Amino acid sequence: MAEWSKIPPNVFSEKGSVPLSLQVEVLKGVSEFFNMSWIREGELNLIEKLSANILKAGPMPKHVAFIMDGNRRYARKRHVERQEGHTQGFDKLAETLRWCLNLSIHEVTVYAFSIENFKRSKDEVDGLMELAKQKFIRLLQEQENLEKHGVCIRVLGDLTLLPLDLQQHIARAVVATRTHNKCFLNVCFAYTSRHEIANAVREMAWGVEQGLIKSSDVSEALLGHCLYSSNSPNPDLLIRTSGEVRLSDFLLWQTSHSCLVFQSVLWPEYSFWNLCDAILQYQLNHRPLQKARDQHREEQALQQHEADRACVADLLQHHGNGKPLDAQRRQEALLNYTASREERVQDFLGALQHKRDSFLTDLTSQAALA
Amino acid sequence: MVHVYEFMWRVLHVLLHIHRTFITLFRIRLRNWNGQLWSRALAALLVPIALSFPKQKKLVPAPGKRVGRRYRWGADGKSLEKLPDHIGLLIAEEEPRYTDIANLVVWCMAVGISYISVYDNHGVFRRNNSRLMEEILKQQQELLGLEGSKQHSVEFLSNGTDKQDHQVLSCQSVVKVLSPDDGKLRIVQAAQELCRAVEQMEKTAKDINVTVLDSLLRESKTTPDPDLVLKFGPVESTLGFLPWHIRLTEFISLPSHVDVSYEDLFSALQHYASCEQRLGK
Repeated sequence: MAEWSKIPPNVFSEKGSVPLSLQVEVLKGVSEFFNMSWIREGELNLIEKLSANILKAGPMPKHVAFIMDGNRRYARKRHVERQEGHTQGFDKLAETLRWCLNLSIHEVTVYAFSIENFKRSKDEVDGLMELAKQKFIRLLQEQENLEKHGVCIRVLGDLTLLPLDLQQHIARAVVATRTHNKCFLNVCFAYTSRHEIANAVREMAWGVEQGLIKSSDVSEALLGHCLYSSNSPNPDLLIRTSGEVRLSDFLLWQTSHSCLVFQSVLWPEYSFWNLCDAILQYQLNHRPLQKARDQHREEQALQQHEADRACVADLLQHHGNGKPLDAQRRQEALLNYTASREERVQDFLGALQHKRDSFLTDLTSQAALA
Repeated sequence: MVHVYEFMWRVLHVLLHIHRTFITLFRIRLRNWNGQLWSRALAALLVPIALSFPKQKKLVPAPGKRVGRRYRWGADGKSLEKLPDHIGLLIAEEEPRYTDIANLVVWCMAVGISYISVYDNHGVFRRNNSRLMEEILKQQQELLGLEGSKQHSVEFLSNGTDKQDHQVLSCQSVVKVLSPDDGKLRIVQAAQELCRAVEQMEKTAKDINVTVLDSLLRESKTTPDPDLVLKFGPVESTLGFLPWHIRLTEFISLPSHVDVSYEDLFSALQHYASCEQRLGK
């Protein structure tokens, strides 16, 4: 694909055979395209390995999120087509995943396409959809490679906004890698954080409609379990490239206590050293963030306890016989209530997971019939 | 071999901590340098002139000077290409200094920012709301004088009160004190409200979308989302600051709010004015 833009437009209008040099160029381009895989093969060189080992002596993030910004600016800088910038961006992602594996970072989330990006020109959006389709098709062809590395691919977002054929390819890729558990790649596609949070609230409301949970069961923890990212822990580190210093509606709920690193390098130019710099920032912030997270968790637990107590008091008032219960009975009632709430919540989450799995398997069976 | 790496890691972090202390001690403006950590370190080492920065004494200016400053601040605000409608002051430090925060709030008002939020992740400001308000009013008198205080009136919003959409006076600013409860907890409360409505068959699950949730989480119809958050302190995180509202917020970090100067604030505002938002396009 990289070579197509260099071919002058008037070549094919000439009668006669195509010159040999052009044939070579075409073949190079085609082979390059087919060699692009999701995880670049390769190991770190000596200096990189040394630095990685030094870094790993300290606390390492287990889950890193990337906002891969700067593809278009890179394309302008290099005087190439925008599409080329996006393709190079994808290459860089493959390389970065390799580095993360080398650094024992087993979960990566990337922001590939925002719902806001639909506002771009039709050509650009179609180009991005086509690129995504090719990448997912390629992914499915690399089954053995993925199984070897144990890569689990998840796609987070409102898939119903995408063209149906892309939805089917995505569903096949996700279902095929579902059982892999060595490393996880979460791709946010047709995603914004607000949509994700609103969707989580909608799912909880669905749970209430189905009689699986009560409105009083709604809590911060439950909302977190209803997000698209429910199967992942919160990111420890969020990196945004190209110098912009905003979150652009990405993982707003999940990154409230994450280390945020803004780097001015453009995404296609990202290097191993940029990644190390970000991890260093994470290590410097590790203790205060851990403290803040623990404090927040304690407050959350307290709030849940208070909520349970209020519910129990309410129940006893309505169903009791007017006589105030002694402390032990109240404690028992509280424990029973908490246990039954937790059971309700587990059943609801099971039903939600089943709903999501069915959506994907339906898509794959549609694809199989097509 | 592992011990060698551990030792080298410790050396690396000691160097980084020394580097950080060096910066804090001499107040070098490194926030404009987005380059590699090592280039920053080298640059810091090559600036011995920093040694000549004496600690500046704060003098109480004469009333005439106050008026001059007030007009300068207003003019500064107008000179910027864009000014945030809503600024958030995120204090990520352990010991908050109320006077410095009050100064920041008053400067923001003088420059022409309409909505100012003050936040810390321990809820300290929320608990000491009245003390902060007193300090702000005091500093308003101090910095803007009596005339200025009349011109730049301030409205304090506490939790639960709705901002009345009465006729807005010229240069009126709204100050709100926020805590982590205004973040995720508020979203959860809105979710509970919507689920209760579904329970009582007033709504269906399908009715719930971004717009519905946004209207519940909005302070009032007129309060904008924060355009800019100034983060004070070494911790690189939002620490739970209004997760729903910060989707397009620019984050600018400043080393500390202790003894912060107007120039620090203004250069952050200049940096904000040069940011370009493409909004997905």
